[in-house]
Amino acid sequence: MATATYPPPPPYYRLYKDYLQNPKSAPEPLPPIEGTYICFGGNYTTDDVLPSLEEQGVRQLYPTGPNIDYKKELRSLNKELQLHILELADVLVERPSQYARRVEDISLIFKNLHHLLNSLRPHQARATLIHILELQIQRRKQAVEDIKRRREEAQKLLKESLTTLEEH
Amino acid sequence: MDIISQLQEQLNLIASLAFNTIGTLQRDAPPVRLSPNYPEPPASANPTEETANFAEQPKLMSAALVKAAKQFDALVSALPISEGGEEAQLKRIAELQAENDVIGQELQKQLEAAENELKHVQELFSQASDNCLNLKKPD
Repeated sequence: MATATYPPPPPYYRLYKDYLQNPKSAPEPLPPIEGTYICFGGNYTTDDVLPSLEEQGVRQLYPTGPNIDYKKELRSLNKELQLHILELADVLVERPSQYARRVEDISLIFKNLHHLLNSLRPHQARATLIHILELQIQRRKQAVEDIKRRREEAQKLLKESLTTLEEH
Repeated sequence: MDIISQLQEQLNLIASLAFNTIGTLQRDAPPVRLSPNYPEPPASANPTEETANFAEQPKLMSAALVKAAKQFDALVSALPISEGGEEAQLKRIAELQAENDVIGQELQKQLEAAENELKHVQELFSQASDNCLNLKKPD
């Protein structure tokens, strides 16, 4: 049974021979990659965005626009889903050979539902950011109040000690 | 778990209930007569017990499906989405950042003033203790 050895280290280690003596004699590391890159034979992209449904070849059932009413669309898609499941059961009773179209419709509705939920994630991220900023502002205000109080206490103590010293 | 993950889990649950329902009913359904030309299908070995169990299954499974769908609706109404969308959120983030900067600067000022006072007090204290040590003569 043949086993493969590990690949050798990349050959440009020789360029760094005198790095300890002269850090400038060796080349700097490359800047980070932007755009698409290939890793182990697969294509990846550094631009993390949710691909729209048309790009995946899936029909979009809910209306597009700048602001989507997520709750309304989610509820109506849920109702559609239930109706389609009922239709599938009916079709299996009456005309069993026509199940394929119904199953396709059901999977389309599921894909739309999941895409809607995924598009809520950026909204959630921004809401989390707002929450974190509010918490930070509250903590900073608290810290400012604490410092002010401590300083006033210290001033008061010094004045008291001054008066006691002057008495003696 | 956050609400969106709960919604996704609920959706997957509805999907699994749906295909379990349809699959189980399709697998366990008793044979049915297709046309008047063909004879009646043969009666199975234990007709009464199977049919009794079988009559309950659609009711139970469809009840579970409807319950899961209602749970999904309840989760949807629990979504904390404010109207206004992306621009309103970005505006709020900019406001909060400005306020955060202002408070940060004030905090910095207070901190510096407090550190100065601490240094003063430490100097005075060391002077006072030196004087004390110099004045006290050992007897």
